[in-house]
Amino acid sequence: MMKKLNKIRQSKILVTLVWIAGIIVIWEIFAFIVEATKRTPENILPHIWQIIFSFFDPKPVANGMSCTAVVFVNAGQTLSRAGQGFLIGTLIGFVLAILMKLSRIVEKIAAPYLMLIQLIPILGMAPIILAMTHDIGSSRIIIAAILTFYPVATNTLAGLNSVEKAKYELMYSYSASKSTIYLKMLIPSCIPYFFTGLKIAAPMAITASILVDTLQGDGGLGCMLSQSLKHAMSIYVFWDIVVFSAVIGVLSCSLMGWIENIVSPIKRIERKTKKKGAA
Amino acid sequence: MIKRRKSLWQRLKENSVAQTLSTILLPISFGVLILVFWQTQVLHKIFNTDTNTLPLPSRICRIIIDNHSAILVNALYTIIVAVVGLVIGSIIGYLIAVFAALFQKWGAGGLTIVGAFNAIPIVALAPVMTNWTKDVSNDPNIRSMVAKILVVMIVCIASMSINAFRGLTELKPFTLDLMSSYAASKKTVFLKLRLPNSIPYVFTAFRVSVPISIISAVVSEYFAEYIVGVGREIRENIVLGQYPTAWAYIVVACLIGLLMYGVLVAIESIVLKSRRVK
Repeated sequence: MMKKLNKIRQSKILVTLVWIAGIIVIWEIFAFIVEATKRTPENILPHIWQIIFSFFDPKPVANGMSCTAVVFVNAGQTLSRAGQGFLIGTLIGFVLAILMKLSRIVEKIAAPYLMLIQLIPILGMAPIILAMTHDIGSSRIIIAAILTFYPVATNTLAGLNSVEKAKYELMYSYSASKSTIYLKMLIPSCIPYFFTGLKIAAPMAITASILVDTLQGDGGLGCMLSQSLKHAMSIYVFWDIVVFSAVIGVLSCSLMGWIENIVSPIKRIERKTKKKGAA
Repeated sequence: MIKRRKSLWQRLKENSVAQTLSTILLPISFGVLILVFWQTQVLHKIFNTDTNTLPLPSRICRIIIDNHSAILVNALYTIIVAVVGLVIGSIIGYLIAVFAALFQKWGAGGLTIVGAFNAIPIVALAPVMTNWTKDVSNDPNIRSMVAKILVVMIVCIASMSINAFRGLTELKPFTLDLMSSYAASKKTVFLKLRLPNSIPYVFTAFRVSVPISIISAVVSEYFAEYIVGVGREIRENIVLGQYPTAWAYIVVACLIGLLMYGVLVAIESIVLKSRRVK
């Protein structure tokens, strides 16, 4: 019994939980201060329980839908487009990284532009892309794809370049063909880096998608966010969306971690050796 | 032994001068090619747009030159927001990292939380900050400046604290043992070992957070109360249908990004070089 207690005390989860509790306490203290001093506390900092209640409140806020329904229906729209853009961007980024590894000329052309594109505020370009495509759906996908492709490309390329020389020599001694080298050595070894890129890109794709929503009244989380801010519907919709998008952002990042655990050959080997060690 | 003449391609590949030349010339020629396509409206055919939504580079240049005074004012506001937010955020982030490195058991857990903040979309933060700073000042300009700086600050805290924490704790093997063999106090270990070790990591963090600070400054301007700044001008001009002016501001935003990154690279080369000489 004591051992178990000690284990819990030692664990990292406890530390994280204490931090979360601390943040909640600080939030609530400020919420009480705001409640006592401001006329409309729910605009500035509502209590956490108020946000949670509003999420389960069946009272309709817009179009006869409750808060939860509004959030989920619009989240579906936003996330599906973010997801499409994310997939397209991932594919382009990965292919570009492979091309850059295959050909020195492509690498030389693309490398400075990969660095430059980081410095361009793509999110600032959202309205322009909307004006060019005339369609909010496809502009959301395009921006999410652009934001996804460069972290994926740069990280994957770093992974491809990180392979040690000894491995190349081993492959040479097998007289392996170029395609074998890529399929058996380079691509498997770049997978951890590839997933690092995905972890950076996933929250960005969602942010981009929400931001593009705010530009046009077509539905989607961002659209509801700005409408709620203008008090076209309950202000709690705004808070629900803020909390929801934060949670989704964190989840999208850990989702990539889970996928990596399943897909990555290195993680699979790690798990196998762990099992053997335990047995 | 028969010595075969190498092909021209092979010789070019091994020539270092040709290699450095191509490293510079290839990207530049690619950029020039794109600009030429843009100016001759080939790009417009590909993207199926007109010269109003995608104005010619010459037109964008003319707009920037004609309106340089107004553009400078807006650019200045955005730069102030980005730089002040970046500096304050990075200082706070570094202090958090120091705190976490001193109390590692509790600090590491706290950093996971800070890392989670990294995944929060900026868009969600910007309106919240606008709400919070309603009482800071009666002047809407100052009020919205504070809100924008807060957004940039929060975004910068995460990357700095995580990187600096790694710099403060991932020491070279045996350095800690060496320090304990000197019977060095905790303070000495910190000042002579951990602090210098973290400096390259600090620059890694800056490389990430400089572009992000500009992006979040631009985005938070969308939601700010007071209409000023490059990001806001992009949006206002789009709403008015003045796409060429909006493009001019986008180019300015890119230039600000380049400028700040250039300054960072310059500082980094100076700081890290003087360290290496020692």
